[in-house]
Amino acid sequence: MKESKITLFIFLAPTLFFVLVFIAYPIVYSAYLSLSEFNYASDPSPRFIGFKGYIDTILHDSMFHTALINQFKFAIPYFIITFLGSLILAILINELKHGASLFQVIFYLPMIIPLSLVGITFAWLLFPDVGIFNHILRRLGVENWNIDWYGDPKTALNSLVVARSWKMIGFTLIILLSGLQGLPKDIREAAKVDGANFFQEIWHIVLPNLKPYLYISGIWILINAMKTFELIAVVTQGGPGMATLTLYYYSWKLAFERLDMGRASQVAYITAGLIILLSWGLNRLFKTEIASRA
Amino acid sequence: MKKHARISIFMRKHRIWILIIMTVIATFYFFPILWMFITSIRPTEDIYKFPPTIIPGALTLDNYIYVITKMRGFGRYFLNSVVVTSSTVLIVVVSSAMGGYAFGMRRFKGQNLLFMAIISVLTIPYIMYLIPIYIMEDKLGLRNTWWGLILPYVALNLPWGLLIMRGAFSTIPLDIRDAAVIDGCGEFQMWFKVLLPIVKPAIAATTIITFVFAWQEYLFASTLMTRNEWQTLPVGVVWIRDELQTLVYGRIGAMVILSIIPVFILFVVFRRFFIEGLREGMIK
Repeated sequence: MKESKITLFIFLAPTLFFVLVFIAYPIVYSAYLSLSEFNYASDPSPRFIGFKGYIDTILHDSMFHTALINQFKFAIPYFIITFLGSLILAILINELKHGASLFQVIFYLPMIIPLSLVGITFAWLLFPDVGIFNHILRRLGVENWNIDWYGDPKTALNSLVVARSWKMIGFTLIILLSGLQGLPKDIREAAKVDGANFFQEIWHIVLPNLKPYLYISGIWILINAMKTFELIAVVTQGGPGMATLTLYYYSWKLAFERLDMGRASQVAYITAGLIILLSWGLNRLFKTEIASRA
Repeated sequence: MKKHARISIFMRKHRIWILIIMTVIATFYFFPILWMFITSIRPTEDIYKFPPTIIPGALTLDNYIYVITKMRGFGRYFLNSVVVTSSTVLIVVVSSAMGGYAFGMRRFKGQNLLFMAIISVLTIPYIMYLIPIYIMEDKLGLRNTWWGLILPYVALNLPWGLLIMRGAFSTIPLDIRDAAVIDGCGEFQMWFKVLLPIVKPAIAATTIITFVFAWQEYLFASTLMTRNEWQTLPVGVVWIRDELQTLVYGRIGAMVILSIIPVFILFVVFRRFFIEGLREGMIK
């Protein structure tokens, strides 16, 4: 068949249009902004200052430091809960002969609920006084247990973690379940015949073979852990105080409340850099483990 | 023989335990949605009774009737969500079906590099696009219009669509294409009449995934749309909550449930395609 360049271009045209105008141009422009000083309200155009802005942000911006620390305080428990949660659920669901698809629907359901409405829902569940969660805790334990989960700086960030994990677990469950279902049946049968109990079988046979899928899940959770915006905007607005101010939310605040587009872009680029760095770290971690086993 | 019998008894026993454990976990997991629903069908006095009661005493549809008939803002948000989401889906499906064909069945220079570059969009913090897009839309007067949301939504969802469509097109044997061309079809006719019917499942997957993602988008909507009449549901419901301040969780619950219903129906009908499409996209 004669392949003409013109038809090829026409087939690619819509993709190229959207990618160039709304993806490629913004990335280049925000890179330029991150090297500039630009207050959108008062400056007519960005003024190039090189890496001065980055140095200033990293060394002297105390709010940036707080946001960076909070980001990790959020990301670490979020990663652990989502990773282990979806792994345990996937292993259990995979054992079931009946009802597996019903369970899957229940765990997949949060994926379709807008994160902002997840925030509203959890804020209501964890409400002080009339909130049902505090009520159940009171019934189970201490009489006057009444925690303002999202209002107390000690619990606010972790309460956001729970809501975020609740929504995310379905995604990684899909990955891990398809990994488990792809495992050859006979290697597990062999382990059973050798007399391995359930936990030994999981630890020695299933997990090592699941490694590529664990890695993919890890990457997705990581990317998500750094992109935290909606829940914070809806439930805590970075508060109480600065207890839930994360990098993403701080960048948004800089850009659209202070209209400081330069610094906002710096924080955004630093966040992207962290994602790349951590993904690389995760890659190395999985690679060395595979190597040491071999 | 004996050994096998023992194994199967052990397996049967632990299956029952797993079933019980899973039922408990699933109940807890489902509880937040269930609780929002229960809240939405109770009268206000019941909701704020202290101590709270789990089993509702009285049931009412008042909250739903109020939200649908009295809250005009909510109706407008709903309309905006429907328009923005369905336009986004339509454009993404057409663009990715075209691009998917080019990436999956044609060969050209820099093909893989370009494709990888487009896919890497998914990992980048969206705020890096948002700042320049905000400035651009502000200058072009696109903020507070439907197009102002549709265009960036298409760009952000296109990579998923391309990933799914390229996968589907690349499994089609080239013979089918060549046969159609020998029959006298032009390339577009062939694409439309012969190839598109073959990739129907991929079209379904792209549709449902784009719908779900566009329906729940918050970051762009909350930043680019500042006027009430252009806002979509995920942000609009939050605005209403902020306006009402306290003690109307019955109505908020009703709004949350109503906001989820369209996407829930699609999820139930096209669940298989949704899961398949996500699996395809995430594992690649």
